Amino acid sequence: MSAVLPAETVQRDAYRRLVRRKQLMLAAIVVLLVLSVLLDLALGPASYRFGDVVRALFLPDEAPLQLQVVLWEIRLPVALMALAVGAALSLAGAQMQTILNNPLASPFTLGISAAASFGAALGLAFGVKLLPVAADYLVPVNAFLMAMLSAFLIHMLSMRRGVTAETIVLLGIALVFTFNALLALVQYFASEQAVAAVVFWTMGSLTKATWTKLAITCAVIAVTLPLFARRAWALTALRLGEDKAASFGVDVARLRFHTLVLVSLLAAIPVAFVGTIGFIGLVGPHIARMLIGEDQRFFLPASLLTGALVLSVSSVVSKTLIPGAIFPIGVVTSLIGVPFFISLILGSRRNAW
Amino acid sequence: MATQSATQSSSQSGRTAVLLLLVLGCMLGAYFLFLRTPGGTDRDAARQAANTSREERSVVTVTDLLGRKVDVRVPVQRVILGEGRQLYLVAALDTDNPIKRVVGWRKDMIQADPDTYKRYLKQFPAIADIPTFGGFEDGTFDIEQAISQKPDVIFLNIEARRATEDARHIEKLGALGIPVVYIDFRHYPIEHAEPTMRLFGKLFGKEARADEFIRFRDEQIRRVTDAIEAGKPARPKVFIERIGGYTQDCCLSFGNENFGKFVELAGGDNIGKQFIRGTFGQLNPEQVVASNPDQIVVTSANWEAYALGGSWVGVGPGADLKEAARKLEAYTARPAYAGTTARERRAFHAIWHQFYNSPYEFIAIQQLAKWFHPALFADLDPDATFRSLHERFLPFGHEPGYFVSLNAIPAGSAAQSASEARP
Repeated sequence: MSAVLPAETVQRDAYRRLVRRKQLMLAAIVVLLVLSVLLDLALGPASYRFGDVVRALFLPDEAPLQLQVVLWEIRLPVALMALAVGAALSLAGAQMQTILNNPLASPFTLGISAAASFGAALGLAFGVKLLPVAADYLVPVNAFLMAMLSAFLIHMLSMRRGVTAETIVLLGIALVFTFNALLALVQYFASEQAVAAVVFWTMGSLTKATWTKLAITCAVIAVTLPLFARRAWALTALRLGEDKAASFGVDVARLRFHTLVLVSLLAAIPVAFVGTIGFIGLVGPHIARMLIGEDQRFFLPASLLTGALVLSVSSVVSKTLIPGAIFPIGVVTSLIGVPFFISLILGSRRNAW
Repeated sequence: MATQSATQSSSQSGRTAVLLLLVLGCMLGAYFLFLRTPGGTDRDAARQAANTSREERSVVTVTDLLGRKVDVRVPVQRVILGEGRQLYLVAALDTDNPIKRVVGWRKDMIQADPDTYKRYLKQFPAIADIPTFGGFEDGTFDIEQAISQKPDVIFLNIEARRATEDARHIEKLGALGIPVVYIDFRHYPIEHAEPTMRLFGKLFGKEARADEFIRFRDEQIRRVTDAIEAGKPARPKVFIERIGGYTQDCCLSFGNENFGKFVELAGGDNIGKQFIRGTFGQLNPEQVVASNPDQIVVTSANWEAYALGGSWVGVGPGADLKEAARKLEAYTARPAYAGTTARERRAFHAIWHQFYNSPYEFIAIQQLAKWFHPALFADLDPDATFRSLHERFLPFGHEPGYFVSLNAIPAGSAAQSASEARP
């Protein structure tokens, strides 16, 4: 909120300083992000020298075959997928919180990830195909369709007269419980290998990353980000309250609907590819808001970057925690994110929401 | 005045409600009393009937796999299998009709090993009528259903202990004189398969038969372990890819138990054991590259029902091995195996996943040994061993197809040995 008020009350210089400070903050996050990705690429059980890794990165043809494969087929897709997934989920969470005016909103609140898990479980346990696709994409496609179905349900219900943001959150929570129950039902009837596969899927793992999946995730971010950027002022206004936004001439219902669709897409795609990685969608935007404030021009890129950073750091930790084995990244994300998040909440002097 | 009458009428209706409740309560109480009495006599009568029929049977005290001492009237005539795959063992004792004592079983075998279940179903159609219980937890069973079947004993796997104790099932069943016996051929198959088999033999009154099975199994394992001990061949590094084709994720594997242990017994060096603490876990694909395995073993099965046209390798009874080899070929392209010795030598093998939870795991050990040390085990024929296991202990014949390999082993690849029967 402080980001909007100074523009009207404080002198131009102070505003410029504020903007400069925020730009510096963004730049700092970008630097950290680059470092984290480099670390992610440099570390691994195959222990190559950092120089060799960098050389293989820029001159892949000159590197030995093993290093080529390790870097280009194993480390790079995972490291970049961490960025893309973190960015997408955090962005989705940020806009969810904005349009629903609720600090607890995240892609998970509206049942999108629960629905995706149910769709994936249908595929893993019974081979149910919701669309005729190749077996390799059976699970992600199922997960995506279910996620979109839940978003569509929310949308249909929210179109009814007199439905407020609070109602939408409540409906979302109802959907979460519904899909969780359905997931448990699938597990109940599934064989033990299927249950193991479903449990594994729901824990989330970046090792499923491939170049194709990475490209699709990046494409979704590339499409949605400009659309959000164009509405930055309207979304900022929405944070002042629905009535105020409406008085500024913002079509609140329309804005909310459009954002909901984009957010569903942003949340469903990564969840379909890498499974449920909770928490990023909730915490990424909050960290961004505490660091940089509410102004969407900065808040938008900041939540994108913080989400990417948290997941990238988690990716590094998940492979170094038990060398050689893979620690579920969803677990790491929460264990790293929570202490940081709590220290931010308790440490920040102003009201976080 | 008006308020007074209102309070009066409300207190009156309150009294009526209390009265109604009392009457209802009495009726309910009477109903339960009525229900209980015949129920009680029924139970006593049943117990008496059972006692008379059991008179000629003696009570023995057995020690189960958790070290509990349990009194059981032997030979047992009605048993409940806490895990369906216990039938693998039961079939080796009651070969003429494996289901004659089974009055209830968990449905895991029907789901996890449909190929074998179908073979039992064909020969013993009544197997479909045995009451099943399910549930995805390593759990326990439906106690009401168990009691209604009036079993002489209930066999539970040791992993069901916690759930069973939490529900205090043992005490409840004990009150009805139904003993529970814990067995195990899965968590520590090498150590526990033998005492488990002895326990079954004793309770079934088929100790000689159980002995025969144990001897056979011992001999077959020793054919591998003795040769390894005597020859002390160099141990190849082995990576086991668990449930290949089930998920797109790479590098699920075994720690130092189950298949991990089988690999060690067969003279291999399981690379997963350094990184996976428990029985199951996942390796970083890069670690597989770094460890550079000499041999890659994929555990898989026909999972058409789950992943249509997926990348699983359909090994199992009566499998099409040409097709299986074709699907195994795809695994050589995995990034995790790039540049490894195994890839260079095309040392890729697929093996039936269900060996991981079956007392027939010694067949797997033999096949692994043959893959790792083809010269040392040139005249070992796992398929022939499996055939004689079927001939001697199981109600139906052997159908080969449990293994496939990309680097054809000259003396007796799975397909070849299938045609040369050994008595």
